[in-house]
Amino acid sequence: MPDKLISIGETAKRLGVSIDSLRRWDRAHRLPSIRSGPRGHRYYRQSGIDLYLRNERSLAQQWAAAPVGIALEPDEYCQTRDDFQARLERLQSVLRHKVSLQAVSLLSAVAGEIGNNSFDHNLGNWPDIMGIFFSYDLRNSNIILADRGQGILATLKRVKPELTNASEALKVAFTETISGRFPEARGNGLKFVRSVIVANPFTLYFQTGDACLNLKEKDTDIVVTHAETYMRGCFAAIGFEGAV
Amino acid sequence: MTIELKKFGTTLISRPSGKEAWLAYQPVLKEVPENEEIMVNFADVVVLTPSWADEFLTPLRSRFSERVKLVNTDNASVKATLAILAKQ
Repeated sequence: MPDKLISIGETAKRLGVSIDSLRRWDRAHRLPSIRSGPRGHRYYRQSGIDLYLRNERSLAQQWAAAPVGIALEPDEYCQTRDDFQARLERLQSVLRHKVSLQAVSLLSAVAGEIGNNSFDHNLGNWPDIMGIFFSYDLRNSNIILADRGQGILATLKRVKPELTNASEALKVAFTETISGRFPEARGNGLKFVRSVIVANPFTLYFQTGDACLNLKEKDTDIVVTHAETYMRGCFAAIGFEGAV
Repeated sequence: MTIELKKFGTTLISRPSGKEAWLAYQPVLKEVPENEEIMVNFADVVVLTPSWADEFLTPLRSRFSERVKLVNTDNASVKATLAILAKQ
């Protein structure tokens, strides 16, 4: 069936919001309309509405936790670092309509560190699907990143063999300057992420293996808890509702 | 001399691109007269991360130490990156 144009009134009904909200979202590029007809009325396509409603977070979690790697759609998959860089730059232009320039800069830096970490630590060693899931859900003010890599425990164990589980490894990654890329004596990435999240109206959920943590503005400690589902690689959801 | 970071891009996020920038700039750095100040200009940089900075700024500072001066560092991610590098 062709993806026909749907009126703004019908779209408002389907989404349970007012027509004024849809006009506002259109101006803010939150849900862009299609202008048609002599008077340029706003229309929408079902595929656009579905895309808007799709919950990127659960999609990425399912992908990262699945026992077997499955191919992703091109609009959420970055096979290489170059793909990631290009899509991160696109995200910046979308975010500019929603948050301050300062928040755009910091959110891009946080997403950039997390995404590049996946490539840094799995280059040449991806267990199945190479690359990362990278998407954003403007409706819920979320940026989502996930990989099916080796995970933080396997990476850090090379330089810190005394680590025995994902919880310890996750805590070390967020608190100590350590690089899993021995002999590279660096490893600021996740410490940087933490420093930005706690100093701004952002949130972070990060999971690796069966360990996860939640961070928000003004947090002083790293509290690692047990995750419900296991995922070998890493999953991150950066929230920016407080900055909108 | 002045290094305009925007000439390497305005989204400076990955280790490989930081390393590439450092390597590409070696011929220029070899020509810097002794005792000349090296000004690193962050104007128009939109995003900087520690990964990129570790590969470019860290070796630059260890080679030229106090001669390196940083200007236009008011971008939020530049400030956050410089703060984390200072803790190293």
